[in-house]
Formats: sequence, structure tokens, C-alpha cells
Amino acid sequence: MNEDSLYIERFLSGENSAFEALVRKYQNRVLNIVYSLIGKDRESEDIVQDVFLKVYHGLESFNGRSRFSTWLYRITVNTTYDFLRRRRRFISDELTIEKTASGYGGPQEELLEKEKQELLKKALGNVPLKYRAALVLRDIEGLDYTTIAQVLHCRLGTVESRIYRGRQILKQELFRWRGEAL
Amino acid sequence: MNQCKRVKRLLSRYLDQEADDKEVIFVKGHLAGCPFCSEEYSGLLRIKRLFAAKERKVLPADYLVSRLRERIAASRQEEERFSLVSGMARLSLRLIPVPVTVIAISLLFMALTLQQRASEFSIEEHILSGDPTTIETAARVILQRTN
Ligand SMILES: [Zn+2]
Repeated sequence: MNEDSLYIERFLSGENSAFEALVRKYQNRVLNIVYSLIGKDRESEDIVQDVFLKVYHGLESFNGRSRFSTWLYRITVNTTYDFLRRRRRFISDELTIEKTASGYGGPQEELLEKEKQELLKKALGNVPLKYRAALVLRDIEGLDYTTIAQVLHCRLGTVESRIYRGRQILKQELFRWRGEAL
Repeated sequence: MNQCKRVKRLLSRYLDQEADDKEVIFVKGHLAGCPFCSEEYSGLLRIKRLFAAKERKVLPADYLVSRLRERIAASRQEEERFSLVSGMARLSLRLIPVPVTVIAISLLFMALTLQQRASEFSIEEHILSGDPTTIETAARVILQRTN
């Protein structure tokens, strides 16, 4: 039995601290998936709270057929999708970076790390959500294709093409703002 | 050209170490001799590295746990309040027969009293009527008084 299953068993027999151990273990991973998908601090934290509340109330019906982490990531992605559906918008100040980014030095000059991160965030915001999700699960969370397929409820080939397309679009977006792909 | 198409299809799998041995050999061999695919590959690799190095957010150690404790406690209170309200609603539904019965009994009682009033038999009326006093009339008078 792995660590997560032990925590779940202990939680189901009434030990709340076991649930909190799961939260501590996964909180930053969930946060970084959400943050990479929506690009907003405050909202990301709220979504992370919602995700773990769903886990708290749903653990009893978790059947253990998939790994806990896969189930958790599925809840994470779905909760974030719901949020985005309600909001219908991603990063709103996307256009403000467009001009300022090219105003900083020439292509040879090193971009400050903060700027680079900001640019990456904006570029990512222009990658369609279904590609973005696959990309984030792969490169931010480091999941393998099979797990990504389980989380996103799609076929392995679909995961592969979404990741490929996602990277291409990301490259184009960075090029559009920077004149080169960083 | 056909090979380029096949390689492009395999590139992300190759990049993510998801390709099998045969595919790896094929892609490697092709990239060594094709500048177009090789350029595509290094572009994607750069993006993958850049993205994987994206800054990570870190929550303060106990921040989330304590926020969750608050929210779980709040939702439990809400649940209890809800169950109290619904419990009261259920109780009042169960108690509905009581006032209904009381009202029904009162209505019946009032009807009987009115009926009795109509057939009230007073001793004064009997004396004035000059009718002979029989056992029957005496009994009626006594019953009337005790009622
Ligand atoms: Zn080629």
C-alpha cells in the first residue's frame, strides 16, 4: 500500500490530520497546475481551496481504481475549467506586454528573469486551453502521457498531438512578442 | 519528405522520452541528416526547457491547511443549521394532525351544543303549559340541569 492510500485509509477512519498531510504533500503541485492554467495569483489560491474541499468531501467515494494523484489532478483540471468557463477570459492585460516587451534591449541582450517569466505567462495565456492543459501537466507537473490521458479523459494520441501543437503555438506566441523564441 | 512528416509526428514523443527504441533510432538517424527537422526539434526543445523552468509558486506551509479547517468548520455549521431547520419542518408536519383534531372536536362540540339549545326544555315553560308532569318530563328536566 502506498503512502497516499495509507493517508486515505486513516482519514476515512476519522483522522483529520491524515487529510491535512495529503494537502501539505500536494498543495504546491496543485497550485502550480492551476496557476499555469489561469495565470492569476488570488484566483489560483481560491481554486486550490475548492479542489481540496472537493477532495475532502469526495474521498469517501474515491474508489482507488486510479492513483489518488491522478484523481486529484482530474479534480484540479475540472475545477479550473469550471472557473474559466465562468470567467470566459484568461489574462486580461495581455496587450500591455505586447509593446513593452519589444522595448527592452535587443535580441542579444539577456532578458531579466522576471520579465521572461512574465512573457512566458502572457504567451501561455494565448495557447488554447486544451493544448495548454496537456502542456502544463507534462512540463510543469512532469506527468507521463498515459497519466495525462487519464486526467484529461482522452486518448494517448490526442495527448501527444496536443502537446506538440501546444509547444508550437507557445513558440509562435513568444516569437510574436519578442522577435525570437527567447 | 515523407520521412520528415513521420518524424514531425514523433517529435514530441521523442522529446518527452515517450518513444520506443525503434522510434528513437529512426528519429535520431533522421535528425542527423535533415536540417529542417533538426531545426524544428531544437526549437521545440528550447520551448520545453523554457517552460519546464517556469517559476514555481510556493504556499506558506500551513496557510492552506488552516484556510481549509475554517471552511470545513463553516460548511459543517451550515449543514447543522440546515438539518435543524429541516428537522423543525418535519416535526411541524408531524404535528399538523393535532390542531386539526382540536378544531374538528371543537366544531363537533359547538354543533351539538347548538342543537341542544334548540331543543332546550325549561321547567318554567313546562309549568306554564299546564301539561301533566310525567316521569318522562321530570327526567328531561333533571338531565337539562345537569348538562
Ligand atoms: Zn526531415
